[in-house]
Amino acid sequence: MRLEKLCREEALRYMGYRGNAPDSAMTALLDQAEEQLLRVIEPKYVYRIFDVENIGAQGVSLKDCELFLEGKDIAVHLEGCRRAALMACTISGGADRLIRINQIRNMTLAYVMDSLASAAVEQVCNAAQQEIASQTGGYCTWRFSCGYGDLPIESQKKFLTVLNAQKRIGVSVSDSFMMTPTKSVTAVFGISDSPLDKKRSDCESCNMKDSCKFRKTGERCGI
Amino acid sequence: MEFKQLLDKKEFIILDGAMGTMLQRKGMKPGAVPEELNITCPEWIEEIHSSYIRAGADIVYANTFGANRYKLADSEFSAEQLIKAGVGIAKKAAQGKDTLVALDIGPIGQLLEPAGSLTFEEAYDMFREMVIAGSKADIIVFETMTDLYELKAAVLAARENSSKPIACTMTFEENGRTFTGCEVSAMAVTMEGLGVDAVGVNCSLGPDRLAEVVGEFARWTNLPIIAKPNAGLPDPETDLYDMTAEQFAQEMKKLAAMGVKILGGCCGTDPEFISRLSGLLGNEKYQRPVPEIPAAVCSYGRTVAIDRPRIIGERINPTGKKVFKAALINKDIDYILSQAIEQTSAGAEILDVNVGLPDIDEKQMMVTAVKAIQSVTDAPLQIDSTLPEVLESALRIYNGKPIVNSVNGEEKSLSTVLPLVKKYGAAVVGLTLDENGIPKTAEERFAIAKRIMERAVSIGIPKRDIFIDCLTLTASAEQKGVMETVNALRRVKTELGLKTVLGVSNISFGLPNRELINSTFLSVALANGLDLPIINPNAAAMTGAVRAYRLLAAYDENSIEYISAYGGEKPAAAADSGVSKDMTVGYALEHGLRSEGAKVTAKLLETTDPMDIVNEMLIPALDKAGEDFEKGRIFLPQLIQTAGAAQACFEVIKKHMTSKGGGQVSKGKIILATVKGDIHDIGKNIVKVLLENYGYQVIDLGRDVDYQRVVDAAIENDVHLVGLSALMTTTLPSMEETIRLLHENNVDCKIMVGGAVLTYDYAMKIGADFYSKDAKESVDIAKKVLG
Repeated sequence: MRLEKLCREEALRYMGYRGNAPDSAMTALLDQAEEQLLRVIEPKYVYRIFDVENIGAQGVSLKDCELFLEGKDIAVHLEGCRRAALMACTISGGADRLIRINQIRNMTLAYVMDSLASAAVEQVCNAAQQEIASQTGGYCTWRFSCGYGDLPIESQKKFLTVLNAQKRIGVSVSDSFMMTPTKSVTAVFGISDSPLDKKRSDCESCNMKDSCKFRKTGERCGI
Repeated sequence: MEFKQLLDKKEFIILDGAMGTMLQRKGMKPGAVPEELNITCPEWIEEIHSSYIRAGADIVYANTFGANRYKLADSEFSAEQLIKAGVGIAKKAAQGKDTLVALDIGPIGQLLEPAGSLTFEEAYDMFREMVIAGSKADIIVFETMTDLYELKAAVLAARENSSKPIACTMTFEENGRTFTGCEVSAMAVTMEGLGVDAVGVNCSLGPDRLAEVVGEFARWTNLPIIAKPNAGLPDPETDLYDMTAEQFAQEMKKLAAMGVKILGGCCGTDPEFISRLSGLLGNEKYQRPVPEIPAAVCSYGRTVAIDRPRIIGERINPTGKKVFKAALINKDIDYILSQAIEQTSAGAEILDVNVGLPDIDEKQMMVTAVKAIQSVTDAPLQIDSTLPEVLESALRIYNGKPIVNSVNGEEKSLSTVLPLVKKYGAAVVGLTLDENGIPKTAEERFAIAKRIMERAVSIGIPKRDIFIDCLTLTASAEQKGVMETVNALRRVKTELGLKTVLGVSNISFGLPNRELINSTFLSVALANGLDLPIINPNAAAMTGAVRAYRLLAAYDENSIEYISAYGGEKPAAAADSGVSKDMTVGYALEHGLRSEGAKVTAKLLETTDPMDIVNEMLIPALDKAGEDFEKGRIFLPQLIQTAGAAQACFEVIKKHMTSKGGGQVSKGKIILATVKGDIHDIGKNIVKVLLENYGYQVIDLGRDVDYQRVVDAAIENDVHLVGLSALMTTTLPSMEETIRLLHENNVDCKIMVGGAVLTYDYAMKIGADFYSKDAKESVDIAKKVLG
C-alpha cells in the first residue's frame, strides 16, 4: 500500500479549524509537512478474519481465537455479523521520528505534521478495510477499537498478539496500552452477509464523550 | 560438542525450522502463549524438536522465544518456570545426539525508549532473568529482533550473566532495514564490537529476497553469518506461506554460496524444509572470502565508514560557551538537541558530546544527553569525557558503535579506558600525550601513538578502531609546532596504518580572522592524511574545505555530494542587509517570522532595555495572539508559530543578558511533565513553547516521568507551579498518583493538569488546582499563580 497524498481536511479538523480555510502561510506549512511525511510514511497493515462464535451479554467470542471481545457495546456492534475482521494498521515509526525532530526545530511544523500523520493512519485504515472487504465480500460495520465504549483498552495487548502484529508490521503496546509506533490503530469490524442498518457512530458509547473537543462545538469526530 | 567445535567441524550448520507454525498445526489458537505448552503439553514440544533433529538440525531452539516477564504478565507461570521446562524438553530430545540446544530469546514485546517507554535498564533486567533461567542451554540465541537497542541490552545481559556463545539475528525488511530503521551494517559492526559469535537475519522474507541483506553482512563482518528466513511470504488471510520445501532449499543453497554458514527456517517452515536443506547442502563446501572490514562507527540507523574524511561536529561542548554552560546547569536538554540538529544540518557526520562541567553530575547528564541526542539524530556520537565512569555509563546505553574520546599514553588512562572500549566494542581516539605532557617533536608523538596502538591491539581492539589525535597546538604560541603535528599525523597514517583525528579550531587561538587560519590548516592536514577533522560545521569555510577536499581527492565521485551541497546556491547577494526598516517585533510575531524577529530584537537591544522589549513588545503581541486564538480568529498552529517567533526573540535577549552577566528574564519557574506511562508529549511541548515565551522558565521533565521525580524536582528547584499532562484514560491514575505524592510531601505548589481525556470535574476530583483546557489557558493559569 502507498499513500499518494494526505487528507488535509481531516488534519485541519484535528487542528480545530472547524471548516475554516487555511491561509496561505498555513497551506505552505501543510505542503512542507506533507512532503516530508510522505517520504517517511510506510503504510502497513495486518488482519485476520474469524467466525463469530457467540454474541452474549458479556461480549463476543470468536471461533479459534484466544481473544474474547468483552463488553455490551462490541456485542451490539457485531450483531447480525457472521464474521469479524481484526486488523492493525500503522504508518510506521519514521513519522514519529520526524515529528520528534521537528519539535526541537519547529514546533508549529511538528504540530501540523502530527495532525497530518493522524489523518494518514486513518487513510491507511480506510484503504485496508476496503481491501479486506473487497476480498471477503459481505457488508462491513464501521471500525470499533479497544477503549471504545466498554471494550477494555487492556484488550489491546492480546489483540496485537492474535494478529502477530509486532512481528508482521512492527506494532507493539506499552505497559499503559499505548501503541508504538504512535500512529497506529487497531480495530475490529463485523462482516455480514446481508446489508446492515446504516448505524451511525454513537457518541453515547464513546469514552471520550465528556471531553471530546468535536462534540463541544457540535461536530463529530468522524468515526 | 560445543558451538565453536561445531563451527570448525561442519561445513554448514543446520538450524531447526519454525516452532509456532508446527504448534498451530497441532491446534494452538492465535493469541495463546506458546511457551505455556512446555508445562501443559510437553509432548508436543518434544515431538517437534525430535522431528527437526531427525531432519538434520545441528541446533534446535528451545520453546522459550516469548517467555519474558512482560509477555507472561497474565500467565499462571513465570518466565523462569517456562524457560527451565523449555530448555529441559529440548535437552531431552537432543539426548545422545550431537545436537546443541539454544536458549531462544525474542523481543520483549514492547518498544524501548525513545519510541516506547521501556527503559534500556528494564529491558536488560528482563533479558538477564531469561539468560539465568536458561543456563542449561548450549548457546544463547537472540532472534527476530527489530530494535538494535533492545538487542544490545540483550547481548549485554548475556555477556554479563553467562559464558555461553551468543548468536543474534534481526528481522530485515526488503529495504534492508528493520521496522525500527536498523541497517544491516549497523547491526554487524555493533554486534561484532560487543563480541557475539554469529550474526544474521531471521524471519523477514523468503530466502529468495535476502541476497542483498546477506551481501551486506558479508561486507561488514567476518563473523559467521546466519540465515533463518520464512518460507516465502504469507497469505494475509490464511497465514500460509507460499514456498515449497524444495524451492526453499534451493534458494538457501544460493545464500550458502554467498557465505552464509548457519542455515535454518522460520515461519512457515517444517521438518521437511530442514530435511531438504540439510540434504542439499550435504556435499557442499563452505567458502567465504575474508573481506577487509571497513573502519566504521554507527548509530542504530546510520553507519559512517571512515573511508574518506568525515566531519565531527565539536559544538556540543561547554568549554568557552556561556549559553551552553547555563543550559547544562538548567538541564535544558532542548538546547543541546538544537545544537545537534543544527550541526548535522550543516554537514556534521559524527557529533562529539562533551557535557563536563564542575558543578553538575556529569555521568547522569551524559546519559541523558546521549539518549536524547540519539532520539533526534542518527549521526553516530563521539563520547567525550575525562572520567572513565562517565565513558562507561554512556557506552552502555549508546545505541550503536560510538567513538570514545579519549585515551592517552599515560598508563592510568591505558589501563582504565581501553578495557571499556574493548568491552563495549567502540572505536577510540588516542591522544599523543603522556605523563610528560605533549611532546614537542613528531617523532615522540609518533612513538606514543605506536604505544597506544600496541596496547589496544594486545587486548583485542582491532587496528581499524584506533584513531590517533596528534594534537593541534596554538599557532600564535607555538608556531614551529604546527608542522610537527602535521608530520606526526602523516607518519601515523602511513607507517602505522591508523585513522587520524584532529581538533582543528585551536590552531588559530589568539589570532585575527581565525577562520582563515583554521580552514588553511584543515586543508593542509587533510592533504597529509587527516580522516576525522573535529570542527565547527556551522562555519561554512570549514565544512566547505572538507567537501572540496573530498571532491579533489576523488572520494566524491562525479562531484555529486559537492554539487548537491552547493549547486543550488545562488551567487551571494549583497551581504545580508538585516531587517527592513518597517519590521517590528509585533509584525514578526503575528506572522511567525523567526529570523526577522531575532534580527529586529538584536537591533532593538542596541538602544532599548531588554525588559522593556519583553514587557512592552513581546508580551502584548503574545497576548493579542492568545486573545485571537480564544475568539477563534486564529488557530493553534498560528498560535504556536507566534510563540516560536517570540522564542527566537527571547533567545536573543537571553544571550544578550547572559553575556552581560546580568539578571534573568525569568518570571518564575514551572515544572512540566507528561505523567508516568504516557509517551505522547506533543501537547506538553506546545504548552512549554507558550509558557517559555511569556518569560517563564520551564523545567521540562519530559514524558513517562516517575511520580517521585516530579516531587524531587519541585522541591529541589523551589517551584510553585507544576503542570501535568496525560493523554490516555490508562494514564490518568498516574496523574492522580503524582498529585497525591506532591500533596503528601507538602510541596508548596499549585498543580495544573491538561490532556485529551481530562475534564474539569475529573481534574478537581484528583486534587488538581487548575484544569487547563488548552495551551493558551495554561498561560492564564501561570499568570494567576506566578504573576
